[in-house]
Amino acid sequence: MLRTGKLLLTFGCLLAAGLAFAAKPLRINGSTTVNPVVAEAAEILRAERGLTIHVDTQGGSSGGIAALGDGRAEIAMISRPLEDEDRTRYPKAHFQPIRIGSDAVALVVSRDVWVGGVHSLSKAEVQGIYEGRIRSWRELGGSERRIVFFNKEPGRGTWEVFAHWAYGDPQKAPLVNLPEVGANEEALNKVASTQGAISQLSSSWADGKRVFALGIKKEDGKVVQPALTAVRDGSYPLARPLQVVTDGPPRGESKALVDFLLSPRGQALVEKHGYLAVSGKAAAR
Amino acid sequence: MIEAAPLPAIRRRRWELTRLLSMGFASLAALAFLGMLALFAVQSLPIWRHAGMDFLLGESWFFRAQRFGVLPMVYGTLAVSAVALLTAAPLGIGAALLTAEVLPRRGRLAIKTAIELLAGIPSVVYGLLGVLLLRNWMHRLLSPWEPLSGDTLLTGGVLLGVMVLPTIMTLADDALSGIPAAQRLAARALGLNRAETAFRISLRQALPGLASAVLLGLGRALGETIAVFLVIGRQDNQWPQRLLSLQPLTGAGQTLTTKLGGSETFLAYGDLLHWGAMMGLSLVLFGVVALVNLAGARLAMRRDGRA
Repeated sequence: MLRTGKLLLTFGCLLAAGLAFAAKPLRINGSTTVNPVVAEAAEILRAERGLTIHVDTQGGSSGGIAALGDGRAEIAMISRPLEDEDRTRYPKAHFQPIRIGSDAVALVVSRDVWVGGVHSLSKAEVQGIYEGRIRSWRELGGSERRIVFFNKEPGRGTWEVFAHWAYGDPQKAPLVNLPEVGANEEALNKVASTQGAISQLSSSWADGKRVFALGIKKEDGKVVQPALTAVRDGSYPLARPLQVVTDGPPRGESKALVDFLLSPRGQALVEKHGYLAVSGKAAAR
Repeated sequence: MIEAAPLPAIRRRRWELTRLLSMGFASLAALAFLGMLALFAVQSLPIWRHAGMDFLLGESWFFRAQRFGVLPMVYGTLAVSAVALLTAAPLGIGAALLTAEVLPRRGRLAIKTAIELLAGIPSVVYGLLGVLLLRNWMHRLLSPWEPLSGDTLLTGGVLLGVMVLPTIMTLADDALSGIPAAQRLAARALGLNRAETAFRISLRQALPGLASAVLLGLGRALGETIAVFLVIGRQDNQWPQRLLSLQPLTGAGQTLTTKLGGSETFLAYGDLLHWGAMMGLSLVLFGVVALVNLAGARLAMRRDGRA
């Protein structure tokens, strides 16, 4: 009897201690594009100020917003503008987006496509591929090979930016059945290891060795490359903001992280990962 | 109820307490099960109201058009699991025959432990191996059928087969080892050689146990997510034109679990109908897994009853 009681007591104490320990980590969730910057910033803050920070990338941008809206995270990372839809979906939350940098969504292809001679696409051509009307790279001036479109999952920031550009509104994007990819790492690997592959991916992730970023052919025939300079002067159409979002103004540890990201050291991290720092005055929407 | 010799009061009290505690925990587990079932049922109500039976029998899923049909995903789940069992069952039962019938005790334990270790590897590791190796092998192997990429139902099935192999092997070994030695001795005395004894006597006697091993392996295959997620391509609405054709296996697809594991779950948040559809998917998956596990457990019980 006594021993059982003691056992239960110990168990209870352990549980309570565990809960107390796990009490207040700063939880961050969202975009795999923003993740490298925030993860490294979190690493620095952990080492320098002893903050407990958990960074996760469940479900990309929309996953981050969902976690923030549900109170499962204090900060969401998103690689797209904050939409009205996000606000209507979580009416109780007061989302506050803070831009930490900019970036471009590129259409990336595998090496064989690039070597085959396809270096840029127009919007109409991209629509044709997306809707399955254009099936071979030959039709686009490349070699005879079927096109494999790895579509970013809807809900990912990259997909939403792409759908905005190609169809004006993600809601208007045609209903298609394409193989889907999630995180940037997955898109990168699948494109790199599949012949004839194309996908939407953050341009800084296109290494020019395994996957190659295509230029966009504008209506006047000019080709714009997804380079940071083109993001800065606003000529590249698929530019996008990289943001962190808090519920209400950032406070406490959230504020510490946000302040760090906006500080010169944080902005240096943004540039280190190939994105455009805020001070670059990007014209991206 | 077995009535033991009368216990001293203090020990009886302690026994009462033990019984109370274990009954409490058992009913807690049962409650958790029922609660989950109820949660899925209640939260999936909107989709049943919206689509009714079309949810179960529909062949297309476009959430932006509010069309929700689970059939292609059920097909994907069944196809992938079937491939997994076809890969793992012969291998697993074959390995079990070796350990239970051929090897001496020490050798049996060594091999069994090694294979059981495989079961402890996290599924994401299998998934990464699948991405790094299996995808490319499959793409090359299937090249006569011109798959678009290495992400196919077949790839997912073979990967799952590797993952359920330990489950099937170790349970099949238990079933075979459970056959009384007297049976084997009698067979040998009647002049059957070792191979005949193994195939005619042990294998046949252990049949219910082997079937339950395969079914429990299937139960694991049905619920597996991450590894399949990485190699199946996650292409919606791949409902085959001809049901018995093998062609769809060389294409990408989607299973119940990979759909639930994707980011659509996060999009569905806050949209009652879409969320209901996701919960409906969970309910369907729950039902399929429960059926298979029940059948497996039943067979296992029959085996133990006989042995």
